Amino acid sequence: MLVYTVRRILGAIPVLVLASLLTFVMIDVSGDPLAELRMQTPAPTEEVIQQESERLYLDRSMPERYWLWITGVGGNGDIGLLQGEFGPSTQGQQYEIGPAIAERLWTTLRLVGIAMMLALGLAIIAGCVSAMRQYSKLDYTLTFIGFLCLAMPTFWLAGIVQASGVELNQLVGGQVFNTIGDGRYNAEGQPLWDQFANAFAHMALPTLVLMLTSFAQWSRYQRTSMLEVLNSDYVRLARAKGLRNKTVIRRHALRTALIPLTTVFALGVAGIIDGAILTETVFQWRGLGDFFITAVENNDSYALMGWLLLSGVLVILANLIADLLYGVLDPRIRYE
Amino acid sequence: MHKRRKTLALAAAATSAVLVASGCSGEGGDDSGPAEVTWVINSLPGAWQSISLAGGSVYNVQMLSGTIPFTGQWNPEGEYEFNMDVLAEEPELLNDDPDEGPFEWQFTFNEDAVWSDGTPMSGEDLRVTWMMAATPGEEHCNGCDSRGGMSEDKIEEIETDGQTATVRLKEGLADPEWESTFDAHSTSGGFLPAHLAEENGWDIDDPDELGEYYEWLHSTMPEWSGGPFQIVEGDLENEVIKEPNPEWWGDEPGLDRITMQFNDDEGTFYNAFVNGEIDGGSPADYNEDVFTQLEDVDNAVTDIGEGETWEHIDFNMGVEEFDDVELRRAIFTAIDRDDIANRNFGAGYPEYELKNNHMFASDNEYFVDHYEGETQGTGDIEEAQNILEEAGYELEGDQLTLDGEDIGPFRLRSTDTDVRNTSVQLIQNQLAEIGITANIEMTDDLGAMTSEADYDIIQYGWSGSPWFATNPEQYWHSGSGSNYGNYENEEVDELTEEVTNATDLDDAADLANQAMEVLVPDAYVMPIMAEPNYFFANDRLENVHDNLNSSYRATYNIGEWTLAGQ
Repeated sequence: MLVYTVRRILGAIPVLVLASLLTFVMIDVSGDPLAELRMQTPAPTEEVIQQESERLYLDRSMPERYWLWITGVGGNGDIGLLQGEFGPSTQGQQYEIGPAIAERLWTTLRLVGIAMMLALGLAIIAGCVSAMRQYSKLDYTLTFIGFLCLAMPTFWLAGIVQASGVELNQLVGGQVFNTIGDGRYNAEGQPLWDQFANAFAHMALPTLVLMLTSFAQWSRYQRTSMLEVLNSDYVRLARAKGLRNKTVIRRHALRTALIPLTTVFALGVAGIIDGAILTETVFQWRGLGDFFITAVENNDSYALMGWLLLSGVLVILANLIADLLYGVLDPRIRYE
Repeated sequence: MHKRRKTLALAAAATSAVLVASGCSGEGGDDSGPAEVTWVINSLPGAWQSISLAGGSVYNVQMLSGTIPFTGQWNPEGEYEFNMDVLAEEPELLNDDPDEGPFEWQFTFNEDAVWSDGTPMSGEDLRVTWMMAATPGEEHCNGCDSRGGMSEDKIEEIETDGQTATVRLKEGLADPEWESTFDAHSTSGGFLPAHLAEENGWDIDDPDELGEYYEWLHSTMPEWSGGPFQIVEGDLENEVIKEPNPEWWGDEPGLDRITMQFNDDEGTFYNAFVNGEIDGGSPADYNEDVFTQLEDVDNAVTDIGEGETWEHIDFNMGVEEFDDVELRRAIFTAIDRDDIANRNFGAGYPEYELKNNHMFASDNEYFVDHYEGETQGTGDIEEAQNILEEAGYELEGDQLTLDGEDIGPFRLRSTDTDVRNTSVQLIQNQLAEIGITANIEMTDDLGAMTSEADYDIIQYGWSGSPWFATNPEQYWHSGSGSNYGNYENEEVDELTEEVTNATDLDDAADLANQAMEVLVPDAYVMPIMAEPNYFFANDRLENVHDNLNSSYRATYNIGEWTLAGQ
């Protein structure tokens, strides 16, 4: 398995290089990084614009800049992935893209990680229950909830959840849920319970939104997959042999039914990051989604490249993990 | 059954506990505790100081409000006030005739004025601020990327003597806005401490070391202050928290703690306000839906008025057809400014006024109505057709022609915002009525579009402040890099140069109005209206109101904010 993993990681490198080249070209032709600067009032002098252009390496050709971005050779020490530098930012001389991504990644992982775990757990339970009680009231109810969440655009769902949180607060006459920010400074130095309550108040609503969007999709897959397995010959055989229903479900059906969900889950990582862009915007969390939006608004090409590279790495990693999990879930699969 | 009941009871207990606990963690107003307020700023500040390109925004100065000392500011009534907490006396003009010697003036600090570490404010603070705010070509500071510099670059030297500073301009130059050099509206939003450079081992007279100090100021959260508050905690992406500056020598601030929260999604303001998470804000952008929602909240105090950004329509003088002033006049006559303003702002701000002077708002003492009796902007199609007919143009079917040649189609461009989308569609319809086809092309890249003059007709905005003297030259002088449409008029060139170099404000305003008198009949640029700005605050706050004449907006008097009943 180790050899397989190393081979997959090495194979991912040219994919990432090609993806980065394409995105670099697309970002480069999509806008002028100095546009905001030129429109400032009062207008900066030509000298200032020239200085900024040189700082951002815009005085060099696009291929030269891409090479610089990869290697850092010929740069001022602030650029070059191989040297651990993501490049200068249009958001200011003092803005460092690498540390900003690291901090934002932690914020997003906190939000997305919890949402994904909750969504996955609930989706497995709901999918299995629906399949086992096909066409029951519970199945119809879970199906309705699933389709409802699937049909709602993330920004809209986020708006509804946010407004509902406010309504609930008014109903109970307190501030159970916060609607903006992660409240990182609100409970500093407070007792642990207050810190927990503060974290809960700020995380509950955005986590719920991200969870619902993923849950809807994954629970449908799990239901279908479970139904197929429950109707398969080997499950019938297990039942015919007189195994208890619980044993049939847990030991034989569930494990097999999880394989398709593993694929969907891995592919869904990219979707969840996309969802986080909207959710973080609505709830004003300074995570990777907000980082992306800010980079786009500022025509910050190196920051965008950093974000896209990280997304690419996350998607490749998630797929690799999914492939490795197949081996755990399906005894027929062996990695050599 | 018993098991299920037990589970339900546990869930109910846990939920109740979280509800109760969370209820105590709220940030909303509780008048019995410390006087705390949360104020929203509708974008990220970018840096810890406002001189730089990254930090040069209204969001930055609002974040720093109450911590950066300044020499004066415009109040909401449009009157200029010197900051007599900081100054011992009003600044004195020592020489106003550049022919007799350098144009110079003097600031003298109040003896009680100190930074939050107890160091007295001094002339050196003004000198270091000037050197960092000047453009790189002045070579005071290596690595400084000042966003401003026009006023600062005029300065030859600042001579300091303890708590006085004498500012001297370069030979032959004058500055009608000399009082503004270190005020709230300047590049730095005030002035910065010099002694911290020395404490950190930097010599401010060494350009490299001053550059290091500049970088430190922009990248380090300022724990120092020269105002009623100081920042005690925060970052550039979420919020900053301010508490009273213990060394503040003026009237005691009315609040114990102010949180300034950065929130760039105005769509969340209503929920956050109703939920008690924010107490108010004075956003830089107008959003009709948010404003009308907030107006209906019981405990909200709201206000709206003309902001500092004004929309205008310009021609690209490089387009051959626009060499003819009569065509330009006819096009501006066909455009109905009132219709544009009403459709965009009528619902939220029905008291809107059309902008009839490029520099001065209608309540400004220097305001002259340059569009009185003008047909431009009236949407008078008949009059527009008369102008064209007299100039030899003919309408053949739906197409305007001159000597058998079609006029247009023209590229009508703007940035992709709600206001500008509505506006260009109206203009397109209005021009169609005089036989001119305008093809709308929207962009997100205003900078590239303007700098390359990649348009035939354009709508965009300029920002201003009650200080105006550098604007006419920047907008309309043939040598200006910001005269995007390449307008050329020798008389306007001369007048705008004189505005910049006038010796007093009255003369400068008079010259600016003279320039506009030439400009309006030339029909190169037509102002529409200033975009409204709104303000909202919880009614538990007192002494909080908007100041549309200042980038600080409602935070301009943050030291005077209190809670009702205090």
